[in-house]
Amino acid sequence: MCKKSFIKYGLYLVLILQASFALAGNTAFNKLKQPFTAAEFALKDIDGKLHRLSDYRGKVIVLNFWATWCPPCREEMPSMERARKKLLKDDVVILAVNVGEDEDTIFNFTGDYPVEFPLLMDSKGEVIKNYPVMALPTTYIISPDGIVTHRTLGGREWDNDQILNELRAMQKKSPDKK
Amino acid sequence: MIFYMKFILALSLFIPGLLQASGVTTGVDEQAKLPYWQYQNEAISIRFIQRLPDQTRGYFMARGFSGKHAELVANSCVFQTIFRNVSDKTVPTQIDYDINNWQVISKDKKTNIKTREDWAAEWQKLNVAMPAKLAFNWGLLPTTQHYQPGDYNWGMATFNLPSGRYFNLTLTWLQGNKQHSVVLPKMQCAEDLHLDPEG
Repeated sequence: MCKKSFIKYGLYLVLILQASFALAGNTAFNKLKQPFTAAEFALKDIDGKLHRLSDYRGKVIVLNFWATWCPPCREEMPSMERARKKLLKDDVVILAVNVGEDEDTIFNFTGDYPVEFPLLMDSKGEVIKNYPVMALPTTYIISPDGIVTHRTLGGREWDNDQILNELRAMQKKSPDKK
Repeated sequence: MIFYMKFILALSLFIPGLLQASGVTTGVDEQAKLPYWQYQNEAISIRFIQRLPDQTRGYFMARGFSGKHAELVANSCVFQTIFRNVSDKTVPTQIDYDINNWQVISKDKKTNIKTREDWAAEWQKLNVAMPAKLAFNWGLLPTTQHYQPGDYNWGMATFNLPSGRYFNLTLTWLQGNKQHSVVLPKMQCAEDLHLDPEG
């Protein structure tokens, strides 16, 4: 009887621990072990408008590095646009930095993948050098005070509720909002 | 009862080893319609899909490479690679690899995969234009990578072997803090097919 109870409660304990680990680790983004200050840049979008990273200080920035030839980059674009629409009332912005391609290539791409967030052109690959990107797509989450805190490698469904809620929560944690 | 628990424990220790040994699969990729070789365990999934030399020629010529330079890549035995960290969030596992530790064995000769850095040195000598170099660099599988749960990326791997050649590929990686290794046997570089227009 005593042994049976021991096994039964042991099993409960294992299940409880597993559930706690699941909840604790179940975040949409991977937190960086060593957050770093986001490197400033000034890049033009395909309409010729200049965007500085510092223009967006005070907001949560989703900084995506991509290229038109990269299948996972293409795949996640529509969900990023849906996320943009759902986050209109929140201080969260999406900036997608195209790496190494020209204006015509990106413009043609938008025919198939229409988006309204800025598509910035890093034609010579100068900006990407300042971020520890190894492959495309890589997306960084930058806190309102300019610190890169999270990273995702590969595409995501950006408009899923968990991602949207985590982005909103990051905005609420901002020192300016306290 | 104790015997039963010991049996379960032994089985739970034995099963991961069994899966590791049987994690290699091969078939035809649903999208590419070309042969693939894959390894998967509870934390990683890596698939190598053949790329036809003509696909590679077309791809790189569309990105600023001359026919001569695109030919160099097309004849290097290129595979599309999809690497994923598939570990469950309940048992999050970090994956790290370094391509320099992977070994290619063909006709009893051991070689390494040609990395981004190897190619960059070659393109430098050949004065390849910057946009083409950038597209090439980002199109290749990174030489080293760190994947957290849910992370994945695609990239081309170049084996520097003639078309049609068979080889074994030994992959090594860190899964958490433990080193793992597996052999993908009898991989084959795509044949350089030039279809007769007359059929």
